[in-house]
Amino acid sequence: MVSLSEYELDVARKRLGRDPSPVEVKVIDALWSEHCSYKSSKIFLRSFPSEGPRVVMGIEDWQDAGAVDIGDGYAIVLKVESHNHPSAVDPFNGAATGVGGIIRDIISKGATPIALLDMIRVGELKDDKNKWLLKNIIAGIGFYGNSIGIPVVGGELSFDESFSDNPLVDVACVGIVKKDKIKPSVVKEPGLKLVLVGLTGIDGLGGASFASRKLSGENEIGAVQIADPFAGKIVMDVTLEIADKVEAIKDLGGGGLAVAVTEMANGLGARVYVDKVPLRVKDMSPEDIIISETQERMLFAVREENVEYVCKAFEYYEYPCAVIGEVTSDSFIRFIYEGKEIASLPSQLLLSPPLYAWPIREKARKINVKPNVELEQAVRSVLAHPDLASKEWAYSQFDYEVGTSTVVKPGEADSAVVSLPNGKLLAIKGDANPDLCAEDAYECGKAIFAEAYRNLAVVGARGIAAVDHLQFGDPKKPEIYSDFVDAVRGIGEAARFFSIPIVGGKVSFYNENKKGVAIKPTPLVVMAGLVEGKLLKPKVEEGSLVLIGYTRNEMRGSLFAKLFGPYGEVPKARLQEDYLASEVVLDLINQGTILFAKDVNRGGLMGSLMAILSKGYSAKVDPDRILGTDDLMAKLFSENGGRFIVITNSPESVVERAKRRGTIASVIGEVKKGNYLEIGSWKLNVKKEVEHHSNYLEVEMSD
Amino acid sequence: MRYKDLDPDRYSSVVIPGGFSFGDYLRAGSIAASTETMEMIKEMANQGKTVLGICNGFQILTESGLLKGALLPNLKMRFISKWVYVKVVRDDTRLTKNLPKKVLRMPIAHAEGRFVLEEEEARRLMVFQYSNEKGEVSEDYNPNGSVLNIAGIANEEGNVIGLMPHPERASFSLTSIDGNVDGLLLLRGLRW
Repeated sequence: MVSLSEYELDVARKRLGRDPSPVEVKVIDALWSEHCSYKSSKIFLRSFPSEGPRVVMGIEDWQDAGAVDIGDGYAIVLKVESHNHPSAVDPFNGAATGVGGIIRDIISKGATPIALLDMIRVGELKDDKNKWLLKNIIAGIGFYGNSIGIPVVGGELSFDESFSDNPLVDVACVGIVKKDKIKPSVVKEPGLKLVLVGLTGIDGLGGASFASRKLSGENEIGAVQIADPFAGKIVMDVTLEIADKVEAIKDLGGGGLAVAVTEMANGLGARVYVDKVPLRVKDMSPEDIIISETQERMLFAVREENVEYVCKAFEYYEYPCAVIGEVTSDSFIRFIYEGKEIASLPSQLLLSPPLYAWPIREKARKINVKPNVELEQAVRSVLAHPDLASKEWAYSQFDYEVGTSTVVKPGEADSAVVSLPNGKLLAIKGDANPDLCAEDAYECGKAIFAEAYRNLAVVGARGIAAVDHLQFGDPKKPEIYSDFVDAVRGIGEAARFFSIPIVGGKVSFYNENKKGVAIKPTPLVVMAGLVEGKLLKPKVEEGSLVLIGYTRNEMRGSLFAKLFGPYGEVPKARLQEDYLASEVVLDLINQGTILFAKDVNRGGLMGSLMAILSKGYSAKVDPDRILGTDDLMAKLFSENGGRFIVITNSPESVVERAKRRGTIASVIGEVKKGNYLEIGSWKLNVKKEVEHHSNYLEVEMSD
Repeated sequence: MRYKDLDPDRYSSVVIPGGFSFGDYLRAGSIAASTETMEMIKEMANQGKTVLGICNGFQILTESGLLKGALLPNLKMRFISKWVYVKVVRDDTRLTKNLPKKVLRMPIAHAEGRFVLEEEEARRLMVFQYSNEKGEVSEDYNPNGSVLNIAGIANEEGNVIGLMPHPERASFSLTSIDGNVDGLLLLRGLRW
């Protein structure tokens, strides 16, 4: 099954001056798949700021992952990817191979993977199929990450009906490498030998093509790869061991050998002897060998004199290693089988598919009136929402401390923190907000970038680099493409504002359910930052509760609006406020003035208070002290950005610090041991809510 | 060091760390248990050298017969990462002989940690029991369904010790929960 359109076949025919052979069609299909070619997104992705003083290797270089300087001769390598389509069909293997794939992207740069994040979105758990999906997605991530020994240090887990048939499984990985040891994924000279390690089998046939169309609902299990973390561990360890002896490294991902060879040659040519590829099963057809996406394989470009050294290192672990061809100077990608040339295509043709800027049309927005909701019902419903529930059920299945470098662990703060070999501390966080993006993808693009920035500030870190993952429905539908363009504009604008380069990214289109309804637009930002001064491990203790920043009556896209009906304005991302409030928090951490800090986002102020209530503390809030709006529901549930709550023993110095930085903070209440939530004269015993918070997933997922 | 490179005469103690030896394929620790390296380690144990197995290392020690009992899948049938307390109930092992504390806080991270052994023997061999902060042992603090809340055991002689919690992850104040270094206290027992 190929995904090429008639038009694209025609373009290929014209450029070739002949009809491509059936094998060649499959090669073109893989290279020109949306998954590998970014044909519907590339024009816009080019608008992202990808340069900066720290950038060692950016998005422009057509590399597998981006790298940024972190001082002392080290760089971190950052990458995010999804495995949405495979996870919808076979959630365990789909999610596990997603982890394996991202790890191989990092080692392709010669970097040692040190941390993973996973951002999971599934449909509501009242549906048993969603439970099955979630259970297996988490088990799959754990299976691979735990075995290979890379800690999953953080992530997101949220629920929405639009992900019912099409769960989103995003994984990000951070690696560390000596700056002068970074390996390219492309070659610059002909004559190098192409060395392939690992066995090629019949799993994952045409996976890139599969990921580039809608789920058909038919049997597509053959397009999903099978995970083998022990093999992955050998590949990782040996690749890092021999990295110095090779000229280029490339992971075999989407499009298999066809894509890996072509992208590695990067405009040069290659000759590949398909018979030399070590196979897992007999009698594979040459075209299947070329496009198979079997996991745990790597491609190296190696000088002839180093080939033996490289293969010996793999053979120590009885891992297959073979010279399958060489890089040539003639700019043709050739596959040879049983002495016959079965494909011969110009590199330029393969690397330059038609690029599309599809028509856009903005959605019509309805004006709705504010729903009439009692305070108690509002508080209880929001606090009980699954998005706010403790995610311990999920992260306790991950070996989040393997490697003994996890400083701030899952569930402890808004970001994870890991220690680096040069003694520095790296904070990382991934953020998305499908509900907001469904309302306004442009404001949302800015908002998620700003949220990631604030999340890092909570532990004392400033963002230095970001990668993005853009997930949407069918790009040929104008309203969906409009959201895509808006999201790119929003993310790009925020990245420029914060001067944080986007060093890599990924796009996933065609995320729809069986009825053809698209997922809510889900662009996602993963940001990494350094703790430059003091680290804050947020700890709930008794003290004054201070809110930094203005609260606005902008309720659209909020959890409150999701529960009780959409209304009001879309929150505007006032990036200046995010920046200023973050600076205040960083100051306070470095002064040692605060015990606890948390970004205000999902569920508004009430949602953020859950992090305090769930630790066995009471929170008392005077709504009159919440500045920026007179509307009580907005005060409590607005999700506009630019805000933090902090616990402190010297509230006045927090207020003073905010003023000095050009913004405001207000002492809104206090935190004491107990189990009450007080809002003005209204009081609620939250024992039940806290229990629900701790047990929701455990209970839901146990049957 | 790589397992194939072990020279038993050069060392007085062996630590088999956690991990997923051979991907835990077949059964956790079972393939590693049948390697030549484990034969050498058995020899070292017979000579009275200290052998410590942590997590997967503990699984390898039971699989190879160096320690009694077996480690089955957790009752919840899934991997569990969690900080736990363990009560130290034997002070005649190399690791616990001079231990200044009787309750230690360390993390577990395993899918197969449910220790099983006939109860009487288990009671005699057990070194660590899952407990609360105060050292009270009850089913509430048993994360995986182990018999008698057992987190680790030793042989009769006390020179071969296996435990599921990770002392090395509770050895650095930066990465340890609340900054405690209980694991380091335990590992100091290797210097004898």
